[in-house]
Amino acid sequence: MQAAAGAAKGFARSNGPVLLWRGALVAVLLCGIGLLPWLSRTDPALTVLKARSAERDPTPEVLQAIRDELGLDAGPLRLLGRWLGGLLHGDAGTSWVSGTEVLPAVAQGLGVSLLLMAGALVVAALTVAAVCARTLWLGTRQRPVGRRAGGGAAVLAALPEFLTASVLATVVGVQLGWLPALGWYGPRWMVLPALALGLPTGAVLGRMLDDLLPGAFGEPWALAAAARGLPGRSIARQAVRRAVPGVLPNLGVFAVGLTGGSVAVEQVFDIPGLGRLTLDAAIAQDLPVLQTGTLALILLAATAGGGARLAARLLLGRALRDRALQSLHRPAPTAPRVLPWVCGGLLLGVIGLGLLHDPLAVDTSARLQAPSLAHPFGTDALGRDVLARVGHGAFRTLAVACAVSAVALVAGVLLGLLPRLSGPLVDTVNAVPPVLAGLLAAGIAGGTPWTPALAVAAVAWSPLAAHTSALLRQERATTHLTATRALGAGRWYLLRYELLPAILPPVVRHALLRLPGIALALAALGFLGLGTQPPSPEWGLLLAENQPYAERAPWAVLAPAGALALLGAFAVTAVGGVRHPWRRRRPHNAAQTTAPTVLSGDAT
Amino acid sequence: MLSLCRRLVPGVLLVPLLSGCFAQSGGGSPDSGGGARLRVTLAFPPTQNFSPYGQDGVTLARLGVAEGLTRLDANGTAVPALAESWHSERDGRSWLFTLREATFQDGTEVTPAAVAASLNRAAQAKPVPAALAGVTLTAQAAEGWQVRVSTAEPDPVLPLRLSNPSLAVFSAKAYAGGRVNPIGTATGPFRLAKVSGTGGATLERFDGYWGGRAHASGIDARFVPDGTARANAVRAGETDIAEAVPVAQASSLDKGTARETATPRLTALYLNTRSKVFGDPARRAAARAAIDTSALAEDVYEGHADPGDGLFGPALTWAADRRVQPSGRARPGDPGGAAITLATYDNRPELPEVAQVLQQRLQRAGFKVNLVVRDYSRLESDALAGKFDAVVAARNMMLDTGDPASVLAGDFTCDGGYNLARLCDEKVDQAVARAASAAGTDERRDAVMAAEAAVLGTDAVVPLVHQKIITGVGSAVRGAVLDPFERLLVGPGTRR
Repeated sequence: MQAAAGAAKGFARSNGPVLLWRGALVAVLLCGIGLLPWLSRTDPALTVLKARSAERDPTPEVLQAIRDELGLDAGPLRLLGRWLGGLLHGDAGTSWVSGTEVLPAVAQGLGVSLLLMAGALVVAALTVAAVCARTLWLGTRQRPVGRRAGGGAAVLAALPEFLTASVLATVVGVQLGWLPALGWYGPRWMVLPALALGLPTGAVLGRMLDDLLPGAFGEPWALAAAARGLPGRSIARQAVRRAVPGVLPNLGVFAVGLTGGSVAVEQVFDIPGLGRLTLDAAIAQDLPVLQTGTLALILLAATAGGGARLAARLLLGRALRDRALQSLHRPAPTAPRVLPWVCGGLLLGVIGLGLLHDPLAVDTSARLQAPSLAHPFGTDALGRDVLARVGHGAFRTLAVACAVSAVALVAGVLLGLLPRLSGPLVDTVNAVPPVLAGLLAAGIAGGTPWTPALAVAAVAWSPLAAHTSALLRQERATTHLTATRALGAGRWYLLRYELLPAILPPVVRHALLRLPGIALALAALGFLGLGTQPPSPEWGLLLAENQPYAERAPWAVLAPAGALALLGAFAVTAVGGVRHPWRRRRPHNAAQTTAPTVLSGDAT
Repeated sequence: MLSLCRRLVPGVLLVPLLSGCFAQSGGGSPDSGGGARLRVTLAFPPTQNFSPYGQDGVTLARLGVAEGLTRLDANGTAVPALAESWHSERDGRSWLFTLREATFQDGTEVTPAAVAASLNRAAQAKPVPAALAGVTLTAQAAEGWQVRVSTAEPDPVLPLRLSNPSLAVFSAKAYAGGRVNPIGTATGPFRLAKVSGTGGATLERFDGYWGGRAHASGIDARFVPDGTARANAVRAGETDIAEAVPVAQASSLDKGTARETATPRLTALYLNTRSKVFGDPARRAAARAAIDTSALAEDVYEGHADPGDGLFGPALTWAADRRVQPSGRARPGDPGGAAITLATYDNRPELPEVAQVLQQRLQRAGFKVNLVVRDYSRLESDALAGKFDAVVAARNMMLDTGDPASVLAGDFTCDGGYNLARLCDEKVDQAVARAASAAGTDERRDAVMAAEAAVLGTDAVVPLVHQKIITGVGSAVRGAVLDPFERLLVGPGTRR
């Protein structure tokens, strides 16, 4: 942890105000946690009692005894001050629930989670390699590299972690018996959870990288290198080196998210990680544990963010300094546009068919029935028609998820354009476990129907901002920007006609890639009493309520999961190349290699 | 070559560092003195570092570590444990317990003075253990290897109370620090040897147990909160006994592996008698009439439950014969489209399903039903404050004291601390008071059933199902203790 603090300090030393801003954000977050019970008006004595012993009746005497024991009557500020004071001596206090030292428990959880995250990143790296394999293969052979639709990666990215985890645990762990299904006792136990976490992560990262690679292969140096007879493999290596810095900040975001937010996978495989620790602490309002866990994640996020920026600078340093980069975002021919029609058509068809049936008709005698003519997608645990539920849930799911995505996109791009402001903000927000975001949002905004959307949007913008910042840094160092500036263009002109057109398309595709994930995140806050409640057929809720039956009635989870995957594939393929009606022809664009659709794109 | 070495060395150095990031697996000493070790998977991780005064006390009892003066048998009667016999004195103001010869796991003898000190410590614990709520208890050693336990008011159910795991007996060594340390200080057939955080614990056989040496040489306990994961552990053969397998997973276990036990746990619909809609007895009766409990037991619980008869189900074998039909119930009236909020919690996965079935039934009967589903800790205070019109909740009707009358007093009287129905009815209060003061076992049971009829007569609560717990027991395991009161799991005779 000290090393993390040191690295964060080292990185921020050069810019004092940023460090100050970062410190202020951490202070606000920790104060927010310290005030959580008082914000949400939920008595911490009660939640601590329920965590200790769920069946104990909350009589006033029992609650008062707990209040006295924990010293709650001193008020939130005194408690927070005491915790901070202890922290200076390396003492993070004792857990309110168990009375044991917090620091060893958090350190243990962090160690487990970091290892799990490392395993997941290895799987993610392999997935990235698989997603980018075709582009690289074409690139090394100097074949024209078109930007691909990326439907496969989008489907993989839409996979809910808990579903992959359940399937892996049941099939590989229990039925085949190849790997242990439960526990965390050695490397053999790492494989399945790492797969469940790494596949969707790798799909998102791979899709982002695959988005940038064609541009890298199309740059003049690549042509020159090929003409000089350099082997295709080294060109490909350089192309990857050129494209990776745009993805690095998101790698950092994922590293932190996987460390603190993989609760579902930790539960399915019974891994004693930091995610479960902070979730339990958040529900019990065990503030010392929650504060220490979040602080550990903040330090990790600062380290990861700093590391990502450092690595990007190492990879592109000279070119950045000399402003000698080319724009990577050249519209290229997209794959034939059949896929979006297929995905969209299927999705609409399913929704349309579903709307014809009643999604709420409970018939417990017809529960968990396999797909048949009467119930094309089978029935769920209460005998309701799954097709009808998917169909009726579509509108609300899509509307809220799209709205949240749009807000996150706008916020992400705007904040991403101000990297010095948003960098520390991204790191801090990124370190907030989702359930904590939900609780804080509920505390501030109350339990309105929009609270979960607010909580998810408050977190969802950060990867988009990180992506925007990374692309912006490169884009500012491009030669064409220098040229335009030399021609006398002002800042707004540069932003509107040069920077945004280059940055927006990949970020929009990124946002769409995350759309299914947002739909799932919204439903995951339901247990706090936020958001949609049963029997509403929202897709995330459908997945959650049918998860216990995933083995006996796979159709009941496959239908909503498939619909989400279709949504992801449709969204990503449909904007295979976002076109900009305002984009003007620029001389260097025309000068750049063969790009026939540049013209057609401009014509629209 | 050199560069390869340079790359490998940090990797090799990392290995011991990484091993610290894995959980400590159980695995105590290999089968010393015969008997295989048992692998047990429990649902609730220790929340208070194995302090006996809370929920962890039950875990200690279930693993055969700690025991008290008495224990409950399958009928809910107090039977000898560390005490051989007992009788009351001074009109029930004190009880004399005669101890058997036993030793603590640290080798010291179980003396009356040690038992008295242990009980007094429990009585002074803060917060006071649930079994002693509202009771002032003092214990002192008496002549003839006896302990005298006195209470301020006559307490006819004291032997039942003392069966509660939070009143287990530990040696003086356990109380040396500020908190009770049960490691190697209890009296049960197994000795807690090592605790690995909230993930697991290692237990060794205690050879000096008064009831004879246990068959298993030790226990490797794991705490796995996720029900599906526990079921998977049994199916993959990674554990011998797994408690509380969810209903949804029961059918995936091999035949003979899933063992059912009827429990006094009741899932019921509590109707808020002070709400606008259910303040009217006719509407409460309409809600009761609308519900088909056998469909719930058969379909939602897949037969792993009995339809709700009364408050006390078939787990209490004496209840059915003494049941009195409730009288004076209101006639079902027309709900007239009244809008109600029905709340429940998702910590037990069946409850939201039950609530959704009820929602449909009630809507058919003419109510307009809005559902609220939350985590239990986020729901309870609102439910007790009467913010909902109806609550679906699961309640252990033999909680804490093992005495049904005290549960009735807590749940359905004007002063009750857990009165979800917010019931305040003179007749109910009188009937419950009669049950609480009845001294003889039979008398008390009759009075309890009369009180049950009085409660049901108000229609403030609609019993839905009596739950059965499903325990996953590996096919090689013999002698698992399937206790309806969920206080025992592993005993001296459990082996594989």
